[in-house]
Amino acid sequence: MRILPGVLAIAIAVTLPFASPVAPASAQGTPGVTADEIRIGALGALTGPGYLYGRLIMNGAEVVFNEVNKTGGVHGRKIVLVREDDRCDAATAIAAAKKLIFQHQVFMLHGGGCSNASIAARPEIEKANVPWVVFASVADEVTLPTAPYIFSTALAASIESAAQLEFAQQQGAKRVAVISMRDAWGRARYNPLMEAFKRKSVTPVADEEMSPDANDATPQVLRLRQANPDAVIIVLYPKAAAVYMRDATKLGFKPTQIGQSALGDLLALREQVAIPNALDRFFTISQVRYTPEDPEMERWRGLVEKYFPGDRLSVYNLMGVASATVVVEVLKRAGKDLTRDRLRDELAKLKDFNTNIYPGVISCTPTDHQCHKTPAFMQLTGDKVKTVGVTTVTR
Amino acid sequence: MPALAGRRNVVVLAVLALAALPAMANPYILYVANIALIYAILAVGLNLLLGYAGQFAFANAALFGIGAYATGLFQVRLGLSFWAAFPAAVVFTTLVGLVVALPALRLSGLYLALVTLAFAQLTQWVMLNWERVTFGAGGFRVPPLTFGALAPALGLYYLTLLLTGLLVAAAWNTVRSGVGRALVAVRDSEVAAESLAIDLARHKAIAFSLSALYAGVAGGLYSALLSFVAPEGFDLFQMVVQFSMVVVGGLGSVWGSVLGAGLLVGLQEALRAFKGAQEIAFGLLLMACIIFLPDGLISLVKRRARGWDEPLRAPDRPA
Amino acid sequence: MLPYLVVSGLTTGSLYALVAMGLVVVYKATSVVNFAHGELFMVGGFLAYTFHVLLKLGYVASLLLAVIAALLLGLVTERIAYRPLMRAPAISLVLAAVGFSFVLKGAARQIWGGLGDYMPFPPVVATPAITLGSIILVPQQLVVLAGALICMGLFTAFFTSTRAGKMLQATAENAKAARLAGIRVERVYAFTWAAGAATGAAAAVLMAPLTFVYPDVGSPLLVKAFAAAVLGGFGSLPGAVLGGFSIGLIENLAGGYLHTSFTDISAFLVIMVVLIVRPTGFFGPRAVRRI
Repeated sequence: MRILPGVLAIAIAVTLPFASPVAPASAQGTPGVTADEIRIGALGALTGPGYLYGRLIMNGAEVVFNEVNKTGGVHGRKIVLVREDDRCDAATAIAAAKKLIFQHQVFMLHGGGCSNASIAARPEIEKANVPWVVFASVADEVTLPTAPYIFSTALAASIESAAQLEFAQQQGAKRVAVISMRDAWGRARYNPLMEAFKRKSVTPVADEEMSPDANDATPQVLRLRQANPDAVIIVLYPKAAAVYMRDATKLGFKPTQIGQSALGDLLALREQVAIPNALDRFFTISQVRYTPEDPEMERWRGLVEKYFPGDRLSVYNLMGVASATVVVEVLKRAGKDLTRDRLRDELAKLKDFNTNIYPGVISCTPTDHQCHKTPAFMQLTGDKVKTVGVTTVTR
Repeated sequence: MPALAGRRNVVVLAVLALAALPAMANPYILYVANIALIYAILAVGLNLLLGYAGQFAFANAALFGIGAYATGLFQVRLGLSFWAAFPAAVVFTTLVGLVVALPALRLSGLYLALVTLAFAQLTQWVMLNWERVTFGAGGFRVPPLTFGALAPALGLYYLTLLLTGLLVAAAWNTVRSGVGRALVAVRDSEVAAESLAIDLARHKAIAFSLSALYAGVAGGLYSALLSFVAPEGFDLFQMVVQFSMVVVGGLGSVWGSVLGAGLLVGLQEALRAFKGAQEIAFGLLLMACIIFLPDGLISLVKRRARGWDEPLRAPDRPA
Repeated sequence: MLPYLVVSGLTTGSLYALVAMGLVVVYKATSVVNFAHGELFMVGGFLAYTFHVLLKLGYVASLLLAVIAALLLGLVTERIAYRPLMRAPAISLVLAAVGFSFVLKGAARQIWGGLGDYMPFPPVVATPAITLGSIILVPQQLVVLAGALICMGLFTAFFTSTRAGKMLQATAENAKAARLAGIRVERVYAFTWAAGAATGAAAAVLMAPLTFVYPDVGSPLLVKAFAAAVLGGFGSLPGAVLGGFSIGLIENLAGGYLHTSFTDISAFLVIMVVLIVRPTGFFGPRAVRRI
């Protein structure tokens, strides 16, 4: 019989977190909103390799919310951020979304880093009619078909991929090759890229692959070089891209190279490649207008490093700052009597909103919830990042 | 006289509590409970292979994935209903498990570990690259399941509960049968087992296919629960989680695996409170369990309560 | 095309070999595969990064400090994840090491994760690339290659010609007999774990300019290194190097001549075939049956 206390202790230890007091419902009955508080759920990876697209973005967002709270909050309500980890895993993401919605009873969600995790969690969130502003997941399936309460401030994969090909052709490239990563992130971009090729009736002259953790890109570079392309479209993470650019430079392969927003920090990439002039013909899309080193970003650097001493301001932080700025703006516009429907309506009519971080403006419509449609191409000249072209995709 | 906290009483109580859970749980807790039941199936199946037959193989996460993929793909690609796709997928996964067993019969120790690890990598690669069939890295949606008048989440929960009950009972009967004793004999000494006229190859194959069958059932239920299948969930991390459940619960103990699965799923959710430090907390707890409870949680129960004896002892510790 | 593929395949192979050697050294004495080795490697890299890049210490000083820190970490690993479990089943030891690797990875993410994505590390030799005919060599790649060979040489010499090395071998062969012969077996074990971890840190510093430093750098390398070690018969240092080279070469040749989507899986396919045909690897004993 002496086992009972032990069993009870284990049972209590395991169930306690589930029994955490349920957030009190507000007077008007909107979950997560009280007289002096708005509860926002942050959904994304806090652990595992995907934390860059979760924790670091959330840190940027939290800085914005903290600043708003310091000046009295939104219509007198302080923003409370509740984070839950999705580990970039489908099952964990569903659990995290359910916990935020049913246990923490948050007013809205802000998050979504990894595409497959977000795609898996979407039906649950959609069913619950909880507003969700996606901050980083680029897969089109997260936002399409349009769901009434789901909006995105991340540049959708289809938009970026189309822009990459468009840009290659603007640079006069006739022969275009592709190097991509075969993971969820890479495929979310690769598939629309192939559709863009088809729409233009062009076939890639080479189509190579590289793994995210590869330390050598010699086979890839040799095969690409054989195809003799004018431009290579790069669908790789920073590490793979740096290895690829290093080996391309080493082997004297110098076509026009076209990156996407994961390679938005050109100064960091240059340091990783570590061969002088390797980025001479490298262009990339950036989600943000400035690199973290830019004096314009000094304010955010100070704030991020104050609230999160372990962080050194990165493009990931800046993506969070920009997305949270949008969230705060629509919360303000939704007014004192905050409801989920009001927030949705304000999001749906947000037009030409300038965050001063995203290269372009944020505009949603009731039918198009991919609110960020401005891929800006950047190039490094000396130590300065120069915008070489902004394409606004219209649909 | 059976003890009050004896096995039968506790199991009956636990089943009653699980059956009544949906009445008082919110959708989040119901989901976590459903996941825990699925892992109980996985852990019990893996324990048959690892704890009883002593085969240190890395294939279970891949087989779990194959079960999930097959259940989903039979529905999406072949237009079968879940009720046809699911059993077909279980048969398919069991056959794959049998194929994996073929090279395994000749190998042991690290070499077995490496070959099954290679099999796991190959499975991931096929899931990623055979896009015309598997939809590739982006995964695919599985049509949501309906249960007539019953809410889908509830129906699936009871289906999972039923299958978990059946499979745990089946495992319990297996380990008490001649097959179970033969597996343990193979584990403890292949030479001694052979000299007792135990067919090594046959019994290893039985262990591999049994664990594959359990993984197939778990995979099918998992695909229905998530309504989404993608390669990421079936990687090495998944394998580590399953190993941990078996070892933390107790090697060579069916009830230990059930306990380990419940505890680890609960723990992973409970550790959410650590916000970003879960990796550290999980690692520390895992180490603590292995170091301080070398024979698993079940040894704690056995020591404190009567009526939990199991017919076969845990694997020997080399002197 | 072939010469490029071979040269770069050998370079990548020496990365695997260097990591594999840390595994083999520990395995030789204790018969345990240290599944936390990838993370010891990672921590070594971050420590060197902290000393050299953040605190601006000299290269040699940073290397030494990182190696010493890793050495201590190796002792800690031995004390908490190995010694209490010496008599436990293999799977328990594996999981204890995996648990420890989670702790290290999580801690690295907490401490250094906010710095950015993949931290670049300055190369040892900052000379420009060397051109040999049409082949261009980056000096750092030669450094890694040389490092792998030197490590192998040093360890082999240590095991075969020093007293301590022979004690290690004796302990591995029969711990009970070694104890009777007056060898302090616990010390030997502690020493091996420390040596393994130190190898990891040294490898990390050599390789960091090529692999970058980030919390998850260790795990994919460990999988390849484990494969290299097993292929080489586990317990054989030249075997580990040969196994590492083989995997690097197979990956590059498959990537170059078949298609780049085969790069990652090719080595595992070859391993499956090799082990099915020859169940104990290239250098393993011909027949193993422990009763």
